[in-house]
Amino acid sequence: MKPRYIIGGLIAAVALVVGMYSLDASKIAYSDLTYAEQSGKRVQVKGVWVKEEPTDYDSKANRFTFTMQDTTGRNVRVVYNDARPNNFELAQSIVVKGRLEGGVMHADQILTKCPSKYEGNADDLHKPAAPGV
Amino acid sequence: MIGQILINFLFASAIVSSGAYFLSLRGNDLRLRTLGRSFLLVVFGGMLIASAVLLYNIVTHDFRYTYVQSYSSENLPWYLLVATFYSGQEGSFMLWTLLTSLIGVSLLPYVRRHQYESEVMGFFSLIIMFLLLMLVAKSPFAYVWETYAANGIAEGFMPQAGRGLNPLLQNGWITIHPPILFTGFASMSVPFAFAMAALIKRDFHHWVKVALPWTLFAAGILGFGIMLGGFWAYETLGWGGFWAWDPVENSSLIPWLVCVALVHTMLTQLKTKGLVRTNIVLALAAFVFVLYSTFLTRSGVLGDSSVHSFVDPGMFAYILLLVFIGTFVLIGLGLIVMRGRKAEFGNLNFKFTSREFTLSIGAAIIMISAMFVFFGTSWPVFHDLLGLDKVAATTPDFYNKTHLYIAMAIGVINAISLIQSWRATPGKQFVRRMLLPFGLSIAATVASYVLGIRDLRFTALAFSSFLALFVNLELFGRMVVKTPLQAGTFVAHFGVALLFLGIITTARYTQTEHLRLVQGEPVRALGHTFTFVGKEQVEKHFLDREKWQYHVRVDDKEILKPVLYWSDYNQRQSAFLEPGISWGFVRDVYVTPKATETVGDPPMLTMKKTQTMAVPLDTSYNITMVGFDMSAMMQNTDANKLRMGVQVDIEHNGQTSSHVVYTTFMGEQMASRLPSPVQIPNTSYWISFDKLIPNRESLGQSQVVLAFVDMNNPATQPKDVFVIEASVKPLIGLVWIGVILMVAGFFVSIARRVGDLKRELSRKATASGEAKTPVPNSPVRVEAE
Repeated sequence: MKPRYIIGGLIAAVALVVGMYSLDASKIAYSDLTYAEQSGKRVQVKGVWVKEEPTDYDSKANRFTFTMQDTTGRNVRVVYNDARPNNFELAQSIVVKGRLEGGVMHADQILTKCPSKYEGNADDLHKPAAPGV
Repeated sequence: MIGQILINFLFASAIVSSGAYFLSLRGNDLRLRTLGRSFLLVVFGGMLIASAVLLYNIVTHDFRYTYVQSYSSENLPWYLLVATFYSGQEGSFMLWTLLTSLIGVSLLPYVRRHQYESEVMGFFSLIIMFLLLMLVAKSPFAYVWETYAANGIAEGFMPQAGRGLNPLLQNGWITIHPPILFTGFASMSVPFAFAMAALIKRDFHHWVKVALPWTLFAAGILGFGIMLGGFWAYETLGWGGFWAWDPVENSSLIPWLVCVALVHTMLTQLKTKGLVRTNIVLALAAFVFVLYSTFLTRSGVLGDSSVHSFVDPGMFAYILLLVFIGTFVLIGLGLIVMRGRKAEFGNLNFKFTSREFTLSIGAAIIMISAMFVFFGTSWPVFHDLLGLDKVAATTPDFYNKTHLYIAMAIGVINAISLIQSWRATPGKQFVRRMLLPFGLSIAATVASYVLGIRDLRFTALAFSSFLALFVNLELFGRMVVKTPLQAGTFVAHFGVALLFLGIITTARYTQTEHLRLVQGEPVRALGHTFTFVGKEQVEKHFLDREKWQYHVRVDDKEILKPVLYWSDYNQRQSAFLEPGISWGFVRDVYVTPKATETVGDPPMLTMKKTQTMAVPLDTSYNITMVGFDMSAMMQNTDANKLRMGVQVDIEHNGQTSSHVVYTTFMGEQMASRLPSPVQIPNTSYWISFDKLIPNRESLGQSQVVLAFVDMNNPATQPKDVFVIEASVKPLIGLVWIGVILMVAGFFVSIARRVGDLKRELSRKATASGEAKTPVPNSPVRVEAE
C-alpha cells in the first residue's frame, strides 16, 4: 500500500472522528416541554408567545420573562437573562433553547422566526406615496 | 418589456455561443469559433443594455415593475438607490450574469493568446446560459399586474410608492460588498472552465499555469468580499462580531476555502507534475460550491435557520438551481472519468521532508475545513431532503471547536512548508532555518501567556500562529528587496498568522457586560466609564422612520452614537439598531443598544372631559379638559400611527388660555408614544399627554393621563434609561489587517504568475522566431505588443 493512501486515510479518519464528536456535542434536540422537564437536558422548544400573560423586561437584572406555549399546547414561564429579543413581537413562532427546571424554562437563547417578514405582497401596491420627501 | 425580450434573446445567444464554440472543436473550425465569440460579445453587450434598462427603471422610480416596487422607494440617496439593483433575488442574478459575461469578455484575449479559446469559452457561455435561464424564469422586468395577476391588478397600474429597501441594508456597505462578492463568485467560473477545457484538450499540466493567475484572482477577490461582509456585520449591523457562522456567511466561505486549497495544489503540480486529478476535481468543486451556495441562500431551504431573511423563489427556481448544479457536476465528473485516466502523472511519492508533501497536507486540511463548514451548514437541508426530523442550524460551537484544531495545524504547516525546499529538505538546513523563528515564537507565546492567554488550546494556537508569523516575517525581509513579487506569498501567509492571533484575542478574550445607563449617571465597567448623556433624533425629514442616536460618553473622551430606530418597513413593531464603536489599536469598545425606558414619575392627572383640577406643580393654576382634537388623526393615513390631541384650558388669576396637547401613539397595540409637550405661558411648567384610557362605549368619555414637568426642578423630570451591552474587544484590528494583507498577497502573486507566463510566451516567441517570422494576428504577435 502506498504511503500517501495511509496518510490520506489517517487524516480523513481523524477529521471524521473530530467532526462527528463536535457535531454531536453541539447538537441539541427539538423537544416539547414535557420531555424537557423529564430529561432535565438542554433542549430547544418551539412554540409561540402567549401575549395574554404578563411579559416583562427588568433592565436592572437584565431579565426578560414571558409565557410560551409549546406545540402540544402546554404553557410555561420563560426566564431569559438578556433583553427582549429583536423582532419578538413580530415573530410567528419562537424557539427557546435552555433547560426546564422547577417549572421554569431557563433560556440561554431565543430565536424569533419571522417567515415572509420582508416579503412583499399585493397589498403593498396600494401604499400612498412617501410623504415629506 | 424591452428588458424581458432582451433577456430571452440573450439566453438564445448564449446557447448559440456555447454551441458554436463546442462545434468549432471538431476540425478546428475558425468560422464557428468566430461565431461563438461574436455571440459572447452580443451577450455581454446585451447584458450591459439590460442592466442599464433596469437601472433606468430604478432611478426613474417606475413602480410598474414588481422588482422596482419591491426593493426601492423614492426617498433613497443615490448610492442606496443604485444598490437596489441587486438587493433582490432577480437583480442579484442580473449582477452575477453581468459580471460573469464581463469576466468572460476580459478572458477572451487571454485564452486566445494561450490557445484555449474554444474549450474555455464554450464552458463559459454554458455557465452564462444557465444564469440567463434563471433570469428568463424570474426576471426583474415583470410588471406588477403580471406578478400579482391573481389579485386582479389592472394592466398599466402604477403603484404610488415602493416598498423600499430593508433598513438593515441601508448603508454604504451594500453599495460595495455585494458587487465584490459576486465578482468573486463569477471569477470562480474561470478555473472550472480551464479544468474542463484541459480535459477536452488532454492538456493535463499546462492549464494549471494558465489558470493560476485567475484562480489567485478568484481567491483574492472572494476573500476580500467575505471580509467586507464581516466588517459590515461588525460595524453596522451590530452582530457583535465579524463572523457568526451564519449559513449565508458559510456558504460563501466554502468555495473560498476550496479555491485556496486549489491554489496550493496547483502550485504543487507546477513544481512536481503531481496532483493532476486533484486539481481538476478541486476546480470543479470550487465552482459547484458557488452554485450550491446560491442554492442554499436563494432557494429558501435554510429559511428556518439563519438570521438572514430569505424569500422563497418558488418551486421552479428551486428545481432549476438543482438542475444547474447537477448538470455541471455530471459534466465535470463525466469528463474526469472519460479523460482523467489518461493523464500522465509525475512522481507522486512525495518525500516527507519536501515542500510538496507539506503543501498537500495543508491543502487537505483546508479541504477538511471546507467539508466541516459544508456538512455543518447543510445538516438541516440533508435532514429535510431525507425526510428526517427537522434539526436546527448547527451551532457556532461546532465550527469553533473544530476550527481551533484546524487553525493550529494550518499555522504550523504554513511555517514549515515555506521553510522547506521542493523535492527534499536536508535536516540540517531545516533546523538552521527554523531555529530563529522557533525561538522567537516560544518567547512570544510565553509573553502572551503572561499577558493573559492561559487557555491551553489557545496558547497552542498562539504558538502555531507566532511560528507562521516569524517565519514569514524573516522570509519577507530576505526576499522583498531582491524579488519583491515573490514576497507576495509571505505577505499573504503573514496575514493569515495575524488573522489567527486576532481571532484568539477577540473570540476568546472579549469581555462583555450588560449595563443600565441612567441619563447623566456614569457607570464604571470593563475598565471604562460609560455615561449616557442624551439622545438626539436624526433624519427627521424622513417621516417613514424615527431614528434616535443615543449618546454614550466613554471615559470622558469620546462620544459613541449607537442608534435605535423604528421604521414603517416593519410597521415600527421592532427597533432596528446600529452599534457604537470606539476604535482603537489595542482594543475596540463596542456598544450594542438593548432597550430603553424612563425612570422618575412626574406628577400626573387622570382626567375626563369637562373635569377641572388643580395643576400638581402649582395649585394656583387650574386645568380643565375641554375635549379631544381628532383632526390630526383624520388626516393621518398611516394605520400604524395615531396622532391625537387633548384640548385644555389653563386658568390662573382669572386669566384663561387654551391649548392642545398632542401625542403620537404607535407600535404594538399603540403602546409606545411620542408626546409633544406644551408650555404653560410665563412659567417653567410643561404639560404632556401621556396616556389614553379608552372608554369602550363612547370615545368622547375616555380618560386621559396628563403629565406635568417643571423645567426648573429636575426632580419632576423623568430620566431616560439606556440599556446596553458593552464589550471590549482586544486587538480586533489584527483581524482586519490580517485579512487585508492576505488579500494583498494574492494580488501580488497574480502579478508574479502573469510575469512568469509572459516570460514563457516570449521565450516561445524567440524560439519560434528563429524558425519563422511571426504571422500577423498570431498569439505570438499579440504578446509582442
